[in-house]
Amino acid sequence: MLRNTLLPALLLAATGATQDQVQVLRGARVLTAAAAGDLDNGVVVLHRGKIVAVGGSAVTYPDGARVVDCSGCWITPGLVDAGATIGIKDEDRNEQGDEVTPQASILDVVRPDDEGFAQALATGVTTVRLMPGNRNVIGGLGAVVKTHGDGLADMLVRDHVGLRMAMGSEPSAGNRAIRGGVPLGLFVRRPTTRMGVVWEVRRAFSAAQNYRDKRTEAASLPPDPALDVLVEALEGKLDVHTAARAEQDIRTAVRLAGEFGYKTVLEEVTEAYRCIDVLAASKVSCLVGSPSAEAVLGAGARDDASPRWYTPALLAQAGVRFAIQTGSNLGAKSLVHEALFAVRNGLGRDAALRAITSTPAAILGVDDRVGSLAPGKDADVVLWSGDPFEATTTVVGVFIAGEEVSP
Amino acid sequence: MRTLASLRSFFSSSRSSTRTWLFPLALASLTDSAAAQEVTAVKAGRVLTMAGGELTGVTLLIENGRIAKMGTEVEVPWNAKTIDASDKVVMPTYVLAHSSGGMRGANENLANVPYLRVQDAVDPSSKFFQECLRNGIGTVHVIPGNRTLIGGQGMLVKPVGQTVEDMTVPGKGGLKLSLFAEPGGALAQATKLRRALDEVRDHVADFERRKAEFAAEKAAGGAADKKEFDGKIDPTKQPSVDLLQKTSIAFLYVPDAAMLAEAQRLQREFGFRAVLVLGPAVHRGVAHLRDLEFPVVLDGDLEVWEKDPVTEKRTKACLARELYKRGIPFALDVATGLNGAERFPWWQMATLIRNGVDRDTALRAFTTVPAKLLGIDGEVGSLAEGKRANLQILTGDPLSSMTWVDTVLLDGETVYERDKDPRLQYLFGKSTETDK
Repeated sequence: MLRNTLLPALLLAATGATQDQVQVLRGARVLTAAAAGDLDNGVVVLHRGKIVAVGGSAVTYPDGARVVDCSGCWITPGLVDAGATIGIKDEDRNEQGDEVTPQASILDVVRPDDEGFAQALATGVTTVRLMPGNRNVIGGLGAVVKTHGDGLADMLVRDHVGLRMAMGSEPSAGNRAIRGGVPLGLFVRRPTTRMGVVWEVRRAFSAAQNYRDKRTEAASLPPDPALDVLVEALEGKLDVHTAARAEQDIRTAVRLAGEFGYKTVLEEVTEAYRCIDVLAASKVSCLVGSPSAEAVLGAGARDDASPRWYTPALLAQAGVRFAIQTGSNLGAKSLVHEALFAVRNGLGRDAALRAITSTPAAILGVDDRVGSLAPGKDADVVLWSGDPFEATTTVVGVFIAGEEVSP
Repeated sequence: MRTLASLRSFFSSSRSSTRTWLFPLALASLTDSAAAQEVTAVKAGRVLTMAGGELTGVTLLIENGRIAKMGTEVEVPWNAKTIDASDKVVMPTYVLAHSSGGMRGANENLANVPYLRVQDAVDPSSKFFQECLRNGIGTVHVIPGNRTLIGGQGMLVKPVGQTVEDMTVPGKGGLKLSLFAEPGGALAQATKLRRALDEVRDHVADFERRKAEFAAEKAAGGAADKKEFDGKIDPTKQPSVDLLQKTSIAFLYVPDAAMLAEAQRLQREFGFRAVLVLGPAVHRGVAHLRDLEFPVVLDGDLEVWEKDPVTEKRTKACLARELYKRGIPFALDVATGLNGAERFPWWQMATLIRNGVDRDTALRAFTTVPAKLLGIDGEVGSLAEGKRANLQILTGDPLSSMTWVDTVLLDGETVYERDKDPRLQYLFGKSTETDK
């Protein structure tokens, strides 16, 4: 019913609004994911693709603004999925020419017209981090894009975000030892065990250290694009995003980061509950994969990691900075529903909201533009028919850069 | 009695030492007969009866496994065991009209196996039945899976007990028929099913012909050495014969709209009674769902993303929404896998609400509709005096994502308590037990 009454008003606003026109969403319960907190009967003012004001019913706006009555609705920032697997053909996800491909860039294989973007948009996700897959030890560079825009250049928020690294069984899955001294096919290559995976990391970063030292001594040395990326990580200019599910792999990921001094974000962290002290002490940020899961299914199943429902609540309690992502687990629901399960299983509502908005934006270094409702931020706004943490609730409208684009 | 019970529970606990989660359930079922004679009073804050509307501040008095009294002025006997649910919601346990969970192997390799019975495959210690209790499901029509032709006979169970006999509840299961086919095999599947039913019809005709011939011969003075006709229906065909003679009901799985037309042709040709079990892709053929004798049953996937072959645009379809718009009653199922929110009735009902179905229809799809479809609506699916005391106590509204099933009573017995659920203790880190 709500949906029916609201939609015409929204469409009117969208069709009538020009870039220069001020749009006002008023009357909703607004969850800002920012200092302003939650506002009843809130007002969000959008202009030229940006948010210009957020506040209570006293917020003023110019005459002639298009006012959308959102009473009964809830408003959140556009959601940020730090681990989306959309927009890329499966065969393009992993560059298997080598097991260390730091220079490979996901942006080269993103398909802006991929229907996954529209599906994500329909569930309130407006920003995603895209990344190479976990098949390589070091897989390449990620990017942050919007789920709607006029081509890839328009969608792009930030390139060169995160360097994919993977621990555990995925980088060695399917690889075979050379038997009978005859190397046959692509998969006869190292690594075949976790030892080999870790060795590939060490070898790559040692080479990068040597390369950096030599370049410092003799700047005339020819550049190496792969090693340049690793040097960026060594110098703290690029975060490594390490996928690690099992406790062993989480510990290894933290240890390797300490060994070489690069900064890492941990991804999936299925067994974080087994080593919560390590995570808290190392001050890493985590991207928790699919908190609704009771089992790891799909390519990560071989890691034999055992999910528990209290993981997000425990991370919050231990003061670990974390975002919730849909991730690679089969059966993962949409981002808001993954957060819903985290709330159902004991995570505070505010923490859950931040875990799909402001925190992933900050981890990805795009919080100056997205992830919260505050003046100056992109006008990426989601209208919900009710409480977003109830599965009965639907998305009734999405604005990206002030343009109404869904549903 | 008590000694015997504790002896037997000791036995069962030592036997199932590697699966300690079995223990509380086993205990509950063993003490069945003793406790059933007790009187239990449930003081309910809010009751969704699913028959007589919503009540508040009601007491349910349970005797001999049934609801003896339900009202605001019920006198509670001094010796009654009291369950205080005054801050909770009480409603009937859910009924699954069609599920292939809880079996060791849901389908035989052979396709035409009407003589199989799920009694022989139901595993009382299956995690599926644990999951049922955890989610407030109290009655399940267990029936062979969809990868079959004529798959065998289903049965009605409650998800608690140590043996299949313990779990059995009164009522009749259906015969599984399926039009499920691997990609490209749809025509072959339909042809095979038609041929299989044809064979049954021929077999019956042949039997009748021989019987008539015998009678004629006898009347003419022949067959002096035989007093009675001793021809028999092939016992392996008997369940299919029962179906064609309308003494049993088929549960016919229909994966998509094209197969729906085939299902209806088969029903017309052979005149059997069938509950249609519909895959999500049937939504395109929903206009052809007419003259249904029974409500339909939906499988676990309620929403499906489909790609238009011309525009390549993906759209989300929801069969339940289409049925609701046309006023066709339906029952819901849950998924049986490890992950996926579709395992939870609250999620399934919320999915209906998201798709524009109303609250009452969503609740009925797990209660009164499946109960009526299975012919057990006089017993379960709603709360009223005289019905089985199959009820769940919830921490809040059944459609809220934040609500948990707190307690489940089946036949008046407490068979599930959330604070003693080993699986939840495991998932919430309160138990380090590795075997969940």
